[in-house]
Amino acid sequence: MTRQEIEAEVREIFLREFEVEDPEPDVNLREAYGFDSIDAIELLLGIEKFLGSELTQEEKKQAIEIRTLTQIIDYIEKLARIRGIIVERP
Amino acid sequence: MERRVVITACSAISPIGYGRKAIVESLLNGVSGVAALREDELISRFIHSRVYGTVGYPMTYDFSRQYRKTMGPVAYYACQVAKDVLEQAGLPREFVTGGRLGIAFGSIHGSPTVQRDIYRIFFEAKDKAAYQTIGAVDYLKSMVHTTAVNISKMFGITGRIISSGTACTTASQSIGFGYEAVKYGLQDAMICGGADEYDTITVAVFDNLLACSTSFNDRPTRTPRPFDRARDGLVVAEGAGALLLEEYEFAKKRGATILAEVIGFACNSNGGDLILPNLEGITQTLKLSLENAKISAAEIDLVSAHATATKMGDIIEAQATGAVFGATPHVVALKGYMGHTMAACGAIETILTLYMMQEGFIAPTLNLEEVDERCAMIKHVQKLIEHPVRTAAIQNFAFGGVNTSLLIRKLT
Repeated sequence: MTRQEIEAEVREIFLREFEVEDPEPDVNLREAYGFDSIDAIELLLGIEKFLGSELTQEEKKQAIEIRTLTQIIDYIEKLARIRGIIVERP
Repeated sequence: MERRVVITACSAISPIGYGRKAIVESLLNGVSGVAALREDELISRFIHSRVYGTVGYPMTYDFSRQYRKTMGPVAYYACQVAKDVLEQAGLPREFVTGGRLGIAFGSIHGSPTVQRDIYRIFFEAKDKAAYQTIGAVDYLKSMVHTTAVNISKMFGITGRIISSGTACTTASQSIGFGYEAVKYGLQDAMICGGADEYDTITVAVFDNLLACSTSFNDRPTRTPRPFDRARDGLVVAEGAGALLLEEYEFAKKRGATILAEVIGFACNSNGGDLILPNLEGITQTLKLSLENAKISAAEIDLVSAHATATKMGDIIEAQATGAVFGATPHVVALKGYMGHTMAACGAIETILTLYMMQEGFIAPTLNLEEVDERCAMIKHVQKLIEHPVRTAAIQNFAFGGVNTSLLIRKLT
């Protein structure tokens, strides 16, 4: 799994679940796209499906700080590394 | 402190049309909204009653994803009629969000469509992945107060939320409790109403109680038949209705169009059997509404009867209506046009009464061809008449033994 693949999947989730096309990587998602607590829960479920692995309560709590698309990708990359899923730097 | 309360906007999505023009045309032309029951590929094939009061025309909505994500079908109906009344009323944005506008809105049990999907997973989930397909928002879409809170979210309304879920008196209680909230100064305005979506479970419940119409399966528009000798039960229906109630001085000051004044409301409980209609309880409700409005029975021009077309219900209602209001007021049973819109019926029937008040006609009870002699002590409307209506009573009764009577009056 590469960072590009993670980003492609996140963008796919945003398009499919949140009807957001080509989100800007570093804008505040709440302010720019009305992303809210309900979306965050849906996103975590999407991440679990993508990784094929359940997130721990602690890992889910870490997601509270996320504000931007780049932070989501960083977060998934970190989870993937913990799970031993290879993440190759471009 | 008691303040006067007026209705300044209303909107209905009903089996006989959406909006005033379509609904009035249906009333004037005796158009029925009852159609064949749709197959749900689950239980519908077992249901004896093959008729349903159907919103059979396309509805288009303009709700962004931000709102749609917590809405089941019932909330779409509710938010659309709420949007309509806010647009009609033209309340300033700062008032809508300022805390003095509240919401009284309900449905009989949230969204059965969404609940059915949840229970399908509940009974069929074989692993965790299947369990996780229960969406995070499914509860928000299906809960009993989903209509009220989706309205509050969509329009940023921050006043009180009342979400009655008392079956067939859901909307009439919403209007009544909204009226009381404004009358006693708790709020300056309330969006009141009810909604219910297409649902075969409700049909199955009444069907198993032998309360549904079955004799007109091949002629859906001929049923229900309130007060008619050949009536054979109710017809479940879908729809939504919303009214805006405002404090009179506030409405007058801002130049609002006043459709009518709410002059009285009563609600009581039979305190006993949860299914059978209760003459004493209903009679008492009607009397209490007159006392609440401080008017005499002789002042009532029109009664919108609950009249679902069940054998006993119609007789008890006719007896109570005759005992309290006498044989002078005209009585119309609007369910003849569309069936029983459940949580919405109190609002839809109030709105149709308002339309008749505005237009100066009284629609006949559709399908009332031969009055049951046991219901003959009241003045049934069997032909369309041009007739001024100043004061009207809208009565609704629910499973569980809940009764309501709402009195409205045209301002002169």
